Amino acid sequence: MRKAIYLFSDGKLQRKGNTLYFESEGLKKYLPVEDVGEIFVFGEVEFNRKLVEFLSQNEIILHYFNHYGYYMGTFYPREHYNSGYMILKQAEHFSEQGKRIFLGRAIVKGSARNILQVLKYYAQRGKEVESNVKLVESFLNKVAEAKEPNELLGLEGNIREAYYQVFDVILQDKTFLYEKRTRRPPQNYLNTLISFGNSLLYSAVLSEIYKTHLDPRIGFLHATNFRSFTLNLDIAEIFKPIIVDRTIFSLIGRKEIKKEHFEKGLEGFALTTEGKKLFITEFEEKLKTTIKHPELKRDVSYRFLIRLELYKLEKHLLGEKPFEPFVSRW
Amino acid sequence: MSEISIGGTLIWYYYICPRQVWFMGRKITPDEDNELLDLGRVIHAQSKKAGVKELELGGSKIDLISREDGELLVYEIKKSSKFKEASKMQLLYYLLEFKRRGVEIAGELSYPEEKKREKVRLTPEDEAKLLASEKEILRIIYQETPPPYQKTPFCKKCAYLEFCVA
Repeated sequence: MRKAIYLFSDGKLQRKGNTLYFESEGLKKYLPVEDVGEIFVFGEVEFNRKLVEFLSQNEIILHYFNHYGYYMGTFYPREHYNSGYMILKQAEHFSEQGKRIFLGRAIVKGSARNILQVLKYYAQRGKEVESNVKLVESFLNKVAEAKEPNELLGLEGNIREAYYQVFDVILQDKTFLYEKRTRRPPQNYLNTLISFGNSLLYSAVLSEIYKTHLDPRIGFLHATNFRSFTLNLDIAEIFKPIIVDRTIFSLIGRKEIKKEHFEKGLEGFALTTEGKKLFITEFEEKLKTTIKHPELKRDVSYRFLIRLELYKLEKHLLGEKPFEPFVSRW
Repeated sequence: MSEISIGGTLIWYYYICPRQVWFMGRKITPDEDNELLDLGRVIHAQSKKAGVKELELGGSKIDLISREDGELLVYEIKKSSKFKEASKMQLLYYLLEFKRRGVEIAGELSYPEEKKREKVRLTPEDEAKLLASEKEILRIIYQETPPPYQKTPFCKKCAYLEFCVA
């Protein structure tokens, strides 16, 4: 399995012979190219065309983030898996309203059901989440009737808001109050964690899409404008509650992440490098967590579950088997 | 899909799993993370370095041709004899491709790791069988959806497995 590499320091990433080489103040690091699957750049990192060519040849994708940990973009090497047939099918399911809404609904349902699983877990531990569970359920019941993508996105927003409202009850931590959802940049600590986690997940899903025949520019729930990636946003919705939010709950619950891991900039809050490292370590840990897959009859990681979700989507597009989102069982 | 040339590899796939034939026809290639595919690529690169030249014939890429006891032989080299029937049909298809160009030669299946070889010749029955397979392959490829997943002994090592069971 090829690894994800995270670069936090400022420096220069280059090709040296047949390896990747990262040089920054007091640090020289060789990264064997066969071991690298993707690179996350958080620092001020310089690179040149030779490097980009090398990444392309080795099918390595590179994500870059700004100072706030906000996702900026991805170097997505010329697609190596290409099937004209699959792209046509994907476009067909985007442009035919009925087909598009089917997938949009499935994604929102999957997301809501995973949210309910998370809430159920806390209900069992005696947290007062009942009224919000009901609220989420009532929005979920409306999903089947939604007629157009905007309506669905609205419901999705309602579900998420009802869910975030209960974070204060779950976390019981005055430092990390929810208040309201703010982004670009976020205005408090908890929102900073949510935004950072979501950014990481969008990139992780994009990396998995790269290993399939799907085109990341064509999403079904989120609007496609053919300039940015949207399919990763769609699939990430399903996994946010079980990957991102659980990462946040673990870090705050164990009191690992503290006030000191944030800095206030002119516009809002950002994680410090130390904070980002803490978050990423826990996030990677979650992605590596395995569950027993009933059909494959072996343990698969959450990262691989994302890929399987994409395979399910491909099979749906090919008309083989209707897409059913993954729902966590605990 | 105006130009489909059925190569020996597609014949091989057909005798192992028709579903795979459909995927190959749509260029839905398997997952490259699969270790066996990596191994295959390394072996291929090595043999190329060692000076083994491939011959392209129709849709087929032939491993090796050589002269033995004054007779031309086409070789097909496989890692194991586990899928003998499929391997044999693949090689016979090469022989048919030669015959279509007016050259009648024999072939040899070889499994270097098992130190086994087998000589094959194209019989009229084989020829009829191959022609039928060609038609069947075209029929499969033109189907709107892939043939349903059916578990075979090959699945365990197949790079499409996760896709099929997902």
